[in-house]
Amino acid sequence: MESKKELEQITNCALCGNMCKDSCPVYLATGNETVTPQKKARLILYKKKAFIEDEKGFFDVMFQCAMCGACKINCLYDNFDLRDSIQRERSEAFRKGILPDETRKQVEIFAKFGNPDGERQLIQKGAGNLGYLVSCSTYNDQQLLKAVEKILTKSKEQVQEFGGADICCGAPLYYAGDLEGFKKAAKKMKREIEQRKLQKVITNCPACIKMMTEIYDEVGIHLDVEFIHTVEFLAALLKEGKIKVNKANATATFHDPCILANDIGITTAPRDIIKMLGFDIKEPVYSGKDTHCCGGVPAGKIADSKLVSSVNAMRTSELKETVADVYIAACPTCKVALSNIDIKDVAEVVAEQIING
Amino acid sequence: MSKRGEVPSKFIEKVKGAVGEENISQTECDLISYSLDYWLYGVFLSQYGKLPSLPSVVISPKNSQEIQSILKYANEYKVHITPFGAGSGVLGGAIPIKGDAVLNLQRMNKFISLDETSLVAEFEGGIIGANLERELNHRGYSMGSIPQSFHCSTLGGWIATRAVGQFSTKYGKIEDMVLGMEVVLPDGNLLNIKPVPRRSTGPSLKELFLGGEGTLGIVTKAVVSVHPLPERTIKQSFAFPSVEVALEVVRKILRGDAKPAVVRIFDEPETARYFGQIKNKVAIIFISEGETDFVELEGRLIKRIAEENGGETTGEKLVDIWLEKRFDIGLGPIIMQQGGIVDTIEVVSLFKDAANLYNDMASAMRAVEGAISVSGHYSHFYREGACLYITFAGFPKDTSRYYKDTWTAAMEATLKNNGSISHHHGIGFWRKDFMQEELGPHGVELLQKIKFALDPNGILNKGKLIDGK
Repeated sequence: MESKKELEQITNCALCGNMCKDSCPVYLATGNETVTPQKKARLILYKKKAFIEDEKGFFDVMFQCAMCGACKINCLYDNFDLRDSIQRERSEAFRKGILPDETRKQVEIFAKFGNPDGERQLIQKGAGNLGYLVSCSTYNDQQLLKAVEKILTKSKEQVQEFGGADICCGAPLYYAGDLEGFKKAAKKMKREIEQRKLQKVITNCPACIKMMTEIYDEVGIHLDVEFIHTVEFLAALLKEGKIKVNKANATATFHDPCILANDIGITTAPRDIIKMLGFDIKEPVYSGKDTHCCGGVPAGKIADSKLVSSVNAMRTSELKETVADVYIAACPTCKVALSNIDIKDVAEVVAEQIING
Repeated sequence: MSKRGEVPSKFIEKVKGAVGEENISQTECDLISYSLDYWLYGVFLSQYGKLPSLPSVVISPKNSQEIQSILKYANEYKVHITPFGAGSGVLGGAIPIKGDAVLNLQRMNKFISLDETSLVAEFEGGIIGANLERELNHRGYSMGSIPQSFHCSTLGGWIATRAVGQFSTKYGKIEDMVLGMEVVLPDGNLLNIKPVPRRSTGPSLKELFLGGEGTLGIVTKAVVSVHPLPERTIKQSFAFPSVEVALEVVRKILRGDAKPAVVRIFDEPETARYFGQIKNKVAIIFISEGETDFVELEGRLIKRIAEENGGETTGEKLVDIWLEKRFDIGLGPIIMQQGGIVDTIEVVSLFKDAANLYNDMASAMRAVEGAISVSGHYSHFYREGACLYITFAGFPKDTSRYYKDTWTAAMEATLKNNGSISHHHGIGFWRKDFMQEELGPHGVELLQKIKFALDPNGILNKGKLIDGK
């Protein structure tokens, strides 16, 4: 049992009227009451009180969460984040070896290669104390990586690019509940950053930023480095005139990645960029801090691939309804999840329209 | 933990064929999740693992055709079905009280269409209110139905209970908003009630399902009236010396044909709780919204009548405070964790009885041993009368006894003052015992006959509202 305060908080949530359920993308995509925040809280409370007999079924529900933070934003109670309780249950599932199959495979691959994907080349280019971390999701998207590299070259910024091999923030292990594995990955990331003497690190992946700015501290690993998302870097380059772009004469819809909007709090920078690129923005029904998670990829934040597909399909449909000329995201994982609408990363759109530095 | 209900295995097999294996569940987590709605005594007990009963199975259809098949099989195998909208009902209407099969309607949650010429929109019944309103707002419209359960109740649930939103004095209750609907009848047949403003084709069939609480059919789609988003909003508030004076002021304003969207009279305890700076007074808040010319005219009318009757102007701030707090039910769970019980009761009367009803009902509820707080507001107004909404909390020695006695005191005071025992929460199973006095023996018998005619096997939502005869 955790502290008295934590028990009070989860009980408040369990006895609430589910006042945030309208914001939960996993619920909206499935219509399943069991995955709503309040019902997850009731199940967690019952698990703590030893009322649950089907432990495997319970842990499966804990992995049916997008960990997007919509419930936190819409919570009646201050300083409560249901994700913390879900995360603790995922850790217990890991300790007991009761993981969903897809998540277990992901952990095994990570243990072997130090990343979620397998054998990878080390990326090490450039110099200076401004870093560009090639996230795992960006490593797998060479088109996006080339776009970022093109912008960096045109901007004439001195940047040290690194990633690949076994350099990973550890997010897949965190969401799988493998806290020891996560700490190990975090310590390695700290060494990689410190040995490069970086003061500021840019990355495309919101989850990397969340891990390194919030979760590392929670597990006792502090990085004395500033992390910024690519959209902040690109918005600054455009505003300062360090890069110039052709103007599009078209409409664009921006998908707010859940972690970027809900945890990092960035919703205006990508829109500023899109406007500077000459697009007329068409907002979907759910945008900004009301965005819906894309669902991610199987064995990511949500374990179950069928559930991932349902959430992917719902978000795709919401974006398609805007009938824009171009669909834009700011997260490489969202780009994979929403590939049915040929969505591009902001950096790719900037790279397409860039004129010179 | 409560015992699971049972259901014939042949029924399960047939339903699997209709909805697909992945949409029928008997897992422990699913049975726990669909075992209870927001009936607050049940919620209180749920923290100790005491659930009214676990359903036998949870079935989640994706469309009306699948529901038709399920109900046909339910009749064949005599399986009782409890429809489950979003589980926000506060009278136990969605509790599978005998371990019945739960019909989860939340997969049917889509916006279908908007007809801007006719000012109507169509939705599936399982859409949550806040999601429905977002779809409309995005297109420049509003349905104007914003209940406190806005974030956790469905359109189908609103229809099933004759729900009401906070902006009802202008936009009406749900029965004023629904033009047409699609209903799966208990025998599995499909009824389409076409959307027209009014018609003269015999008794209105839609009235059977408005307030039917899932006992007479399953509402799967509805066409509702919508309004353009307001061009102008005026917020006003006033303080008065008593509930009686405040009621008289609102009566005069409505008699003048004003239609403010929000009118709320808070008694002294609620005025103090919401607006700490106003002591020993009764506050009224008004929100007028719509076309600028109308709204400004209405704003002036309200101000004039309020001030002529001794109202002290307290500004926009009170309205903003209410807007900020209106969905916050966070105190209830905190009290329940400490062993207390909370709930709300909404009743309605004519203006002539309204003040006496408040005084009698609040006094009777305060007199129940264990009560620590009884407060109220009038929140939905008509030219003829108003809804009284009482919130109570107690820390009794015997929670069950206190809860039942408080409800009985409230219902008896309502009936004594010619009021109706429910304005918008419905009957469920908890308020059923008062239906004889509410409707009279012939009224109950008529409802029982209607139920039996539609659902001779008593398949749908047994034990709620009315059972067949």
